[in-house]
Amino acid sequence: MKRALFIAALLCLSGGGIVWAQMAATPKADTPEAPKETREKIFNAETFTLENGLQIVVIPNHRAPVITHMVWYKVGAADEVTGKSGIAHFLEHLMFKGSNGLAPGEFSKKIRAMGGEDNAFTGHDYTSYHQSVSVDHLEDVMKMEAGRMRGLNPPLDHVDSERLVILEERRQRTDNDPRARFAEQMNALLYVNHPYSKPVIGWASEVASLSWDDCKTFYDKWYAPNNAILIVAGDVTGQQVFDLAKKIYGPLPKADVPERKRPVSPPLAGVPEVTLEDEVIREPMVQIVYRTPGSRQSKEETLALQALEEIMSGGPTSRIYKNLVVDQKIATGAGLSYQSAALDDSELWIYATPAPGKDIKAVKAALQDQIRDVIKGGVTETELKEAITRMQADAIYARDSLTGPAMVFGYALTTGSSIDDVEYWTYDIAKVTAKQIQDVAKKYLDPDAVLEHAAVTGYLLPKVSAPPAAEPAKAAAP
Amino acid sequence: MRKLLLIMCVMVVPVNAWGKDKLLDIQPVTSPGGIKAWLVEDHNVPVITLEFGFKGAGALLEPADKQGLSRMLSNTMDEGAGDLESQVFQKELQDLSIGLSFGSTRDDFTGSVKTLTRNKARAFELLQLALTKPRFDAEPVERMRAANLSRIRSSMSEPDWIAARILNDLAFTGHPYAQNSGGTLTTLASITPDDLRAFHKNNLGKNNLFVSVAGDITKEELATLLDQVFGALPTVKLPAVPKTTSLQNENTVNVYKKDIPQTIVEMLQPGIDRKDPDYQVGQVMNFILGSSGFGSRLTEEIREKRGLTYGIYSYFMDMEYFDGLEVSTSTENKNAGEIIAMTKAEWKKMKDAPITADELKDAKTYLTGSLPLSLTSTDAIAGLLLSLQMDDLPLDYLDQREKIINATTEADVQRVAKKILQEDKMTVVLVGTPEGVKDFKAIDKVPNVE
Repeated sequence: MKRALFIAALLCLSGGGIVWAQMAATPKADTPEAPKETREKIFNAETFTLENGLQIVVIPNHRAPVITHMVWYKVGAADEVTGKSGIAHFLEHLMFKGSNGLAPGEFSKKIRAMGGEDNAFTGHDYTSYHQSVSVDHLEDVMKMEAGRMRGLNPPLDHVDSERLVILEERRQRTDNDPRARFAEQMNALLYVNHPYSKPVIGWASEVASLSWDDCKTFYDKWYAPNNAILIVAGDVTGQQVFDLAKKIYGPLPKADVPERKRPVSPPLAGVPEVTLEDEVIREPMVQIVYRTPGSRQSKEETLALQALEEIMSGGPTSRIYKNLVVDQKIATGAGLSYQSAALDDSELWIYATPAPGKDIKAVKAALQDQIRDVIKGGVTETELKEAITRMQADAIYARDSLTGPAMVFGYALTTGSSIDDVEYWTYDIAKVTAKQIQDVAKKYLDPDAVLEHAAVTGYLLPKVSAPPAAEPAKAAAP
Repeated sequence: MRKLLLIMCVMVVPVNAWGKDKLLDIQPVTSPGGIKAWLVEDHNVPVITLEFGFKGAGALLEPADKQGLSRMLSNTMDEGAGDLESQVFQKELQDLSIGLSFGSTRDDFTGSVKTLTRNKARAFELLQLALTKPRFDAEPVERMRAANLSRIRSSMSEPDWIAARILNDLAFTGHPYAQNSGGTLTTLASITPDDLRAFHKNNLGKNNLFVSVAGDITKEELATLLDQVFGALPTVKLPAVPKTTSLQNENTVNVYKKDIPQTIVEMLQPGIDRKDPDYQVGQVMNFILGSSGFGSRLTEEIREKRGLTYGIYSYFMDMEYFDGLEVSTSTENKNAGEIIAMTKAEWKKMKDAPITADELKDAKTYLTGSLPLSLTSTDAIAGLLLSLQMDDLPLDYLDQREKIINATTEADVQRVAKKILQEDKMTVVLVGTPEGVKDFKAIDKVPNVE
C-alpha cells in the first residue's frame, strides 16, 4: 500500500509543461536552496532526446538480469472527438492485431516465447505499451515496438472481433458492477464540457459503432516519436539504451502532432447529487468528488493536496479513519484519495461506509466536518512533519521494484511534469507548509462555499423492496 | 553527456542475488535457538522483507459456527500488543513506515513485515510483540468485526465473488474447505476475543513456522534476529482435519440467476499435486491450454477468433488437501452455453493430438525464462521462498524445475493431458442469465453468507 501511495502521490507533479534532458540542460535557478546537482535523486534516471523528438528515460536497476521497456504516447481518451468515445482504448487493443511483418496476435506470442510479459493500458491523458523481458531481448522488443509506432495494419475481420472483446470488457468492468456504473456517473457530472466526463473505455453505444477508419485517423494523428516517451528500467546502462534506441527508433519520421487543447469545465451553478439505488447493493456508501488543480495548473497546490491526503488518510491513525471509524464509530471505513495525475483538472475523493444504523447524510456531514476542521484550525506542525517523513520513506520503498519507477515517470511525463519533478519530489514535498494545506482545503473543498468549487456527491444505496419492519433505527438507508 | 552518464552508472554497485550456476542464491539460515529461515541477501535498496507462515493454521481449523475466525485473527493481531494499545501500536508502525500485516488462507496463517533498514530494530520488536503478546482489546475487535461485516455485505453485490462462494460450497461439500473463510454475517457476530486468544495460542507455534527473508540484511544478523522474534513461540499440536478431499458435485452445471448482462463462468476439475513427478509437465500443458493469456489455445479460439470474452484462463489450484484445475471467464449471457462447450472441446483436443513443436518450444522458453521477472522486489522474492518451504520443496527446486521443463517432450504433454484433463468431471458454476445451457441445477441462495 505504501508504494502505491507514493506512486499515486507523484502523479500530480507539475513542471509548467517544460521537459528537458537533465544532463544537457542548465538547472533552473528557481529555488533558494543548494544547486540541484548536490541533492539526492530518488531514481537516478538518465535521459536523452532523439532528433526525431522521442524522449528516452533510463532507470538502471541491476537486481535481476531483466528490463521493463515502455512506450508512452501523450494521447488518451480525453483527446477523442465527441461522439466517438473509446477510440484511444480500441486502438490500444488493435496495436496487438498486426504491424510491420507481425501477424495479428503475434506481438504478444513472441514476447511470451522470449519468456516475457507484455500488456498495455489507456487513460484519459496517456496510452502505454509495456514489456518485461530478460535483458538480452531488449533489442528484439524495441524493434517490435518501433514497428508498430507507424506501421499498424490490422485485418478488418480482427477489428470486428476485437470490438466484441471490448464490449465484453466493458460488461465485465462496468455494466456488471453497480459501483463502477456509479463512479462513471459521478465523473460524467463533475467534468461538465470536458472530455474527462467520458469513460476511458467509451460509452457502449459509441464503442459499438467505432470503425477501423476512426482508429486509423486517431493513430495517424497522434502516434509518432515526437509524441512518445521511451522508458527502460532494469539491468542496462543509459549508454546501451541510447545506442539501441538511436538505431531502432531513430529512423522513424517526426509527425505534425496537434496541440492537446481541451474545452474547459465551467464553474458549477448548482450542487449535483447522484443516487443509485440497486437491489444488489447491501452496503451503502457516500462519496464526494472534487475538481482540483492538475499538474500543469499549480505544482505548489498539488504538493499541498498530496500532503493533505497523507495527513487525512495516510494510515489507520490519520485523521479521517481515526475520527470517523475509531472514535465516533459512525463508519466502518472512510478516507480521502487524491488522484493528481492529470493534464487538466485532477480529482480528490472523500468517502465513507456508514456503520449499521447510521444515517448516511449524518456520515456525509461528519466527513465534511473533517474538511471544516482543516479549514478552521489547520494542521499541526507535528502532523505535517510526520506526514513528510512517511512520504519520503515511500520514495525509498518505490525503488524496491522494477516496473514501479518506470510507471512513475510515465505518468509524470505524460501529464505535464518533468523528470526533475520526480527525482527531487522528496525535497519539494518537504517544503509544503501548514498554511498551504489550509489554503488548498479552503479553496477547493470548503463544504460551506459549495458554489466556489466543483463537487459531486454520490449516494450508493440498497434498494429496500419492502417497507422497513419495526426497527427503523437499524435500516441503513436514510 | 555520455561521459557523465557513464559515471552515474558506475556509482550503482550491483550486488546480484543471481548465482552463477544457480537460478537464485538462497541461503538457509538456522538460529542458535534452532529456528530456520531461507534468505536472499540483496543490498541494492535499504529495505528488508520478512515473511512467515504457520502451516496448517488456516481457516480449515475453524468450527462451522466460528467461520472467519482466522481472518479476524489476522485483522486483530496488529491492533495492539504488549503495553501498546491499538492506536499507539499503529501510530508507531505508521511513523516508522513499517508495513506489518497478517493473513490467512484456507490452509495456513501467514504474515509479513517490510521495513527500511534504518528502522529494522523497532520493526522486528513490534513484530515480536504482535506475534507473542497481542492484546485483542474489545475496541479494535469490534471495529474489525464491523469492517468484516461491511466487506461481506459489499461483496454480496459482486457476481464473481458470488460465483467463487458457490463453487467452494459445491466443490468441497463435506470438507472444511467448503466453509466460508471470510466468515458469514452470523458467525462473525459470534467471535469473541477469547476465541481469538485460543486460536492464536493453540495454532501458531515454533514447530509449524516457516520464515523467509529478502533484502538488506546479512545471514549472521538474521540468525540472531530469528530467536528474538520467534523464540518465545510455543510448540503446538494442531487438531486433526480430514486429510484429503475429492471434488464434489462433479459433472454438474449450477446456475445462480442474476439480472446482469454478462455471465460469470467458473469450471473446476481435479488437478495435480505439486510434488507429483508430472507436475511440471502439467504446467507446460496448461501454459499451452490456457494459462498464458495471448497465445493460449483457450484465448486464441474464444477471444481472438470469436470475440466471446475479454479474458479466459485456466490455472492450477494448489491446496494442502486438494489439487484442482480451474477455468475462469465471463461472456455475454447469450454465449454462456457456447463458451462452456468450446472450453470442453479444447480439453479433448489437448488429449487427442500431440501439441506442436513450436508450442512446446514457446512454453519452455516462457516457463523457464520468465522466472526472473517475478523476482524484482524483496516482497516477491520473500513470497516465493516462503511458498517453496511451506510446500516442502527443496532448496534447489527452481533448478530442478528448469531441468524437468527443458526435458519435456510432446508425448509427455499428451500423456499428462490424458491423465489430468477430464471434461466430464467439471463442477461448473454460472452467475448471470446464461443462455444455451441445458440440464442445470438452479441455486436460489448464495450459500453460507448470511
